[in-house]
Amino acid sequence: MSELFPRKQIMGFVFSLILTAAALTVYFLNMSFAKGMVVLLVTAFVQALLQLVVFMHAGETNDKWVIYGKVAFMMAIALITVFGTLLIFLWDM
Amino acid sequence: MKVDHSLPLEYSTKQNGLNIFGFWVFLAAEIMLFATLFTSYFTLEHRTAGGPNGTEIFEIAPVLIETFVLLTSSFTIGLGVHAMRIGRKKAMMTFFVITLLLGLVFIGFEIDEFITYIHEGATLQTSAFTAMLMTTLGTHGAHVTFGLFWGTAILLQVKKSGLTPETANKSFIFSLYWHFLDVVWIFIFSFIYLKGMM
Repeated sequence: MSELFPRKQIMGFVFSLILTAAALTVYFLNMSFAKGMVVLLVTAFVQALLQLVVFMHAGETNDKWVIYGKVAFMMAIALITVFGTLLIFLWDM
Repeated sequence: MKVDHSLPLEYSTKQNGLNIFGFWVFLAAEIMLFATLFTSYFTLEHRTAGGPNGTEIFEIAPVLIETFVLLTSSFTIGLGVHAMRIGRKKAMMTFFVITLLLGLVFIGFEIDEFITYIHEGATLQTSAFTAMLMTTLGTHGAHVTFGLFWGTAILLQVKKSGLTPETANKSFIFSLYWHFLDVVWIFIFSFIYLKGMM
């Protein structure tokens, strides 16, 4: 039975729950908006990275750098789209 | 077809490796789809047109349950892939069934959430905020719903043909899809709900 529950996956799950609990502090503690956003940005991106490496097995094969490169490129384009738009429409620059 | 036994079953042929890489390319495009939805949401979230805003309609309890359920399902499908790699067909199928049931619970809570919003006067037509909120959540929910059918179809194939390079490949690709939806949900949870309730 124990061979069905590898340590790596269990640690990954526990860590993802800890990250969720950490993100929740912005709701339960009285935090400034800026401080809260920093907490959310850190917990969300660490959580995404955790899923990518532990659960999606992104680094296991020969094409790992092509996979990481592809995802990193798309994340960059996604962030440029999000923040570029905010810059124009909300922050008025 | 040349089968390389040094690699996990889902990677064992050239075609399998290409299928998995192809799916990563698809997921990268999906990142962009959700990025545009988030962009529109962030741009329009304060345009409530006299209707309710996020602080008024978001409730922490159902959101927390949805998050916990989806995180757990991401864990169980990870265990499913592990069981598949050590050749345990029955355990793999059990983990996949648990994953799909958790997905069903998630969809149940999300539908209930939508019904609550509509009762509170936050419909798709109320304001730019509610329209973008429901489009973003709905696109994610539609992906999970599609995943339920896809996962069931794969389970039937595994049941029928056992763990072959083909079925293992399909199962692994499905697990990538499921983990991806979990990642998208983490961003929805953080930057729509928690940010809205902060």
